[in-house]
Amino acid sequence: MLRLGQRSLQTRNRFSIGLLFTLPSIVFVLLMIVYPIFYTFTLSFHEWSGSARRDPEYVGTSNYDTLLNNDPRFEDAVMRTFEFTFKAVAIELILGLAIALLINGEFLGRGLVRVLILLPMVATPVAISMAWLLMFEPTVGLFNEVLTSIGFAPRLWLGSQDEALGSLILVDIWQWTPMMVLLLLTGLTTLPEEPFEAARVDGANAGQRFFYLTLPLLFPTMVTAVLLRTIDALKTFDTIYTMTRGGPGYATETINIYGYVQSFEYFSLGKASSLLVIFFAIVLGISLVFTQIRKQWGIPYND
Amino acid sequence: MKRTWLVLLIVALMGSLIGLVSVQAQEENPLAVGVSDEYAGTELRLIFANHPWNNSIQRLLPQFEAVSGITLRVESYFEDQLSQRLQVGLTSGNTQADAFMFRPLQEGRLFADNGWLGDITSFATGDLEWNWADFQAAAANTVTFDEAVFGVPVVTEREMLYYRKDIFEENGLQPPATLEELQAIAAQLTNTSEEFYGVVIRGRRSPAVTQFSSFLYSFGGTWQNEDGTSALDSPEALAAYQYYGDLLRNYGPPGITNMSWPEALAVFQQGKAAMWLDADVFYANVIDPNQSVVADNVGFAPFPAGPAGANQYNVTSWALGMNAESENQEAAWEFIKWATSPAVVLELQKRGTPGARISVWELPEGLSGFPEDYAAVVQLQSQRGVGFDRPRVIRVGEARDIVGTPIVTSIEGGDVAAALAEAHEQFNTFLGSDGG
Amino acid sequence: MTNTTLQRPLNNTHPTTNQIRLRRFSWRQTAFVSARYLAILLVVILLIFPFVWMLLSSFKNQIDITTSDNLLSFTPTLRNYQNVFEQHNYLQYLLNSFIVAAVSTQLSLILGLPAAYGIARFRFGWLGIVLLTARIIPGITFLIPWYIVFGKIGLLGTYWALILSHMLVGLPFIVWIMIPFFESLPRELEEAALIDGSSVFKAFFHIALPLSVPGMIASGIISFIFSWNNFMFSLVLAGDDTRTLPIAIFNFISYSSVDWGGLMAAAVVITVPVLIITLFVQRYIVDGLTAGATKG
Repeated sequence: MLRLGQRSLQTRNRFSIGLLFTLPSIVFVLLMIVYPIFYTFTLSFHEWSGSARRDPEYVGTSNYDTLLNNDPRFEDAVMRTFEFTFKAVAIELILGLAIALLINGEFLGRGLVRVLILLPMVATPVAISMAWLLMFEPTVGLFNEVLTSIGFAPRLWLGSQDEALGSLILVDIWQWTPMMVLLLLTGLTTLPEEPFEAARVDGANAGQRFFYLTLPLLFPTMVTAVLLRTIDALKTFDTIYTMTRGGPGYATETINIYGYVQSFEYFSLGKASSLLVIFFAIVLGISLVFTQIRKQWGIPYND
Repeated sequence: MKRTWLVLLIVALMGSLIGLVSVQAQEENPLAVGVSDEYAGTELRLIFANHPWNNSIQRLLPQFEAVSGITLRVESYFEDQLSQRLQVGLTSGNTQADAFMFRPLQEGRLFADNGWLGDITSFATGDLEWNWADFQAAAANTVTFDEAVFGVPVVTEREMLYYRKDIFEENGLQPPATLEELQAIAAQLTNTSEEFYGVVIRGRRSPAVTQFSSFLYSFGGTWQNEDGTSALDSPEALAAYQYYGDLLRNYGPPGITNMSWPEALAVFQQGKAAMWLDADVFYANVIDPNQSVVADNVGFAPFPAGPAGANQYNVTSWALGMNAESENQEAAWEFIKWATSPAVVLELQKRGTPGARISVWELPEGLSGFPEDYAAVVQLQSQRGVGFDRPRVIRVGEARDIVGTPIVTSIEGGDVAAALAEAHEQFNTFLGSDGG
Repeated sequence: MTNTTLQRPLNNTHPTTNQIRLRRFSWRQTAFVSARYLAILLVVILLIFPFVWMLLSSFKNQIDITTSDNLLSFTPTLRNYQNVFEQHNYLQYLLNSFIVAAVSTQLSLILGLPAAYGIARFRFGWLGIVLLTARIIPGITFLIPWYIVFGKIGLLGTYWALILSHMLVGLPFIVWIMIPFFESLPRELEEAALIDGSSVFKAFFHIALPLSVPGMIASGIISFIFSWNNFMFSLVLAGDDTRTLPIAIFNFISYSSVDWGGLMAAAVVITVPVLIITLFVQRYIVDGLTAGATKG
């Protein structure tokens, strides 16, 4: 306020013009994002079943305490979420890299393949989950028919505590490997030509070129792709909800499903809120770690 | 006076607009007797579950609308989504629904406790013609909390045995009278290589609890002791859990731990199982040739006796309640009153969804539409059994998950005793904090 | 790689050795190429078999689905589709899904484009960060607070509740994609316009926007698809008349028992519009999906 110079006038002017552009979005954000976050955060220190007669009861950090120290089901759900995410994303990365290298460059039907590869990503998860549910069906499903016809023993797929999580990972891999392929393809096309030319002249074979050039140059893209997939995989909901509801037993209960159960089946809104806050912290923490990695390694085609 | 005339005039105009059809309906339709048109023009929002009762009453709704002049807007959801939908709406204090279906044994106490269900005691007890006393005492009890009535029972259910008459005949079998026989028959009829299974019952953690309850009671076990602590540590409970798991693991279809009733029903309808145990309200689905390849060959038998006798559940599974915040309570009551009137209950019972009215049960025509063996079983089982099919607590969802977990362990062939001991402990902790 | 092999025959100073090498090379080449095509074929099969199976099953009746000896030979029936449209009012749900997806996308663009411009040009970075959190937060966090807000402003059960909630996905995505787009436009263009006496808004409408049409289309299509596929928000916020397709399909599972054929027909009805959109505008979808990632 003391320095009413040209510069502050300018910034103030800039600020008000910027405000005009962003105001509608700011209102939206306050109402639709900030308010719910605030609401959830507040509620996480209370216990409430949604009663119209009793206001939420303040319980301090006891919800957090229960979840973190005294709820084996939550602990299992966290570990399961990590297992699901890690396995799914790791396989998607490897497969995605393989497929991206496979379909990079010219071949007959390239256009068609590049359209088909989009389909699993854009198809409605709930609908496609129903199709998988039918294929997984132990008695009439496609998979067991195929397995038995080529002489293998049928499996239980979603109907067994041992196989259910793996089956869900399979669906996630089918659905999201294409995303990896897409991102890595974009990465591949932006790789500089010169180092590869030089390596070829020096007599480096395909394997050497891949491990010493392609992989390191592609690394930043891979980090970005893994980050995006990790965030989404941690939050996977539609497919799990449609196919198993977290069962059999608790074999596929991830944090997100457990949060849903706490709020909409157990009516423990306070506990559910603290669970969501912890979940948010986990996702945020993981995102920050990745962002840090990306910063460390630098991003060649983005400043 | 002037206003009365005006109202009458409007009503008359509307009547003529709606046309002769409705007038005829009013005069000749026994299903709409006593329906008042006092609330004509009101729009009622109703939230129903996808349930045979809903399917049947949907066909009768136009008759109510025609006579009452009330417009009904019905939303239907599967049980879980229904519960979620109601909860979100009611938590935010919203009046989206005027009346809705709820499960007295599942959400009833919590909804009443939370002030979401309107207290309809004065409506229910004040209308002598409609006659609250005509409802079975056990059913009335499940919707009465601290002496206040919070809903009207619409569906009562008992666990029953559906079996394949043709296959039983071929093998010279009679429907099992005891659980021992049930197991023996299931063993005899299971032919895994042909993908034919002796028996199918729900095996998913939470949905399985209700069907398992009859087994628990028939083995002499129960959920809670008189003093409100967990009764899962009894040898009877262990035996029941063990039996249920062994039965389904050995003689049930694969993947049963991911089955609720739609999936289990489908297995039976597709002719892949010799026996199915579930609620008797699914009768219509089993004998509908459009859905069921075994429609002509279904037999019905009472729940087999265990070591402690045949103690199947006999419960009020669904009731109609009113939103405490609804601005149309009178009109909503007009609808509930109609939907639970003797004429409508009789009509629905004929179509296969047994209600809770004593007078309807006593009418010979009440069960006239059914095959004799079905009517006999329902009649027999409505006289006996246990009035709850899950733990009686406030937060039922959580309790079901706790007591349902050992069922899954047992089906998968795990250590039942250990799982049950753990569930027993958790259940006690839960009961201590439930406040019920 | 193809280039090098093509050039070899021209280089025939040592015909014999070269012919041998050529034969060996072309054999390896053929093996490599056919292996590659085989692998690509395998990938394609893996990509599409769930769709094929869904489509096939939607033309089977319950008995053909559940008796396993005829996986591929069956008499196709249209009954499932008839059922879907006649008994279950799918036309209405289809329309609902379309309205909600189209309007929420349009609104997201109307709000998102200026916002992205503001963030890119006027240092409103914090807004971008808040919008980004929407991507990280689990969706169920929002349901109850939203219900309260919508209840207070009387939007429950209307299309608006759905539209606004779906914007939570669409808006951040559009902003996310458009910020780098606007940043990459040369400032000089707009500054020249400003010097000419145009207002900031003119500069935005006449210069920045027209230059970023591809980004708008790409992000708009993605936003449309996300909205079309949304399950959780619609489940809680839709009324009976505004119910969208993903919710409607859930109702199918429980009406009587599991009607696989009907379920698959319903699934096809939901999926086909998205697939058609994808076939026609695949380039924009690729741009949209990858821009969100690589330009972050």
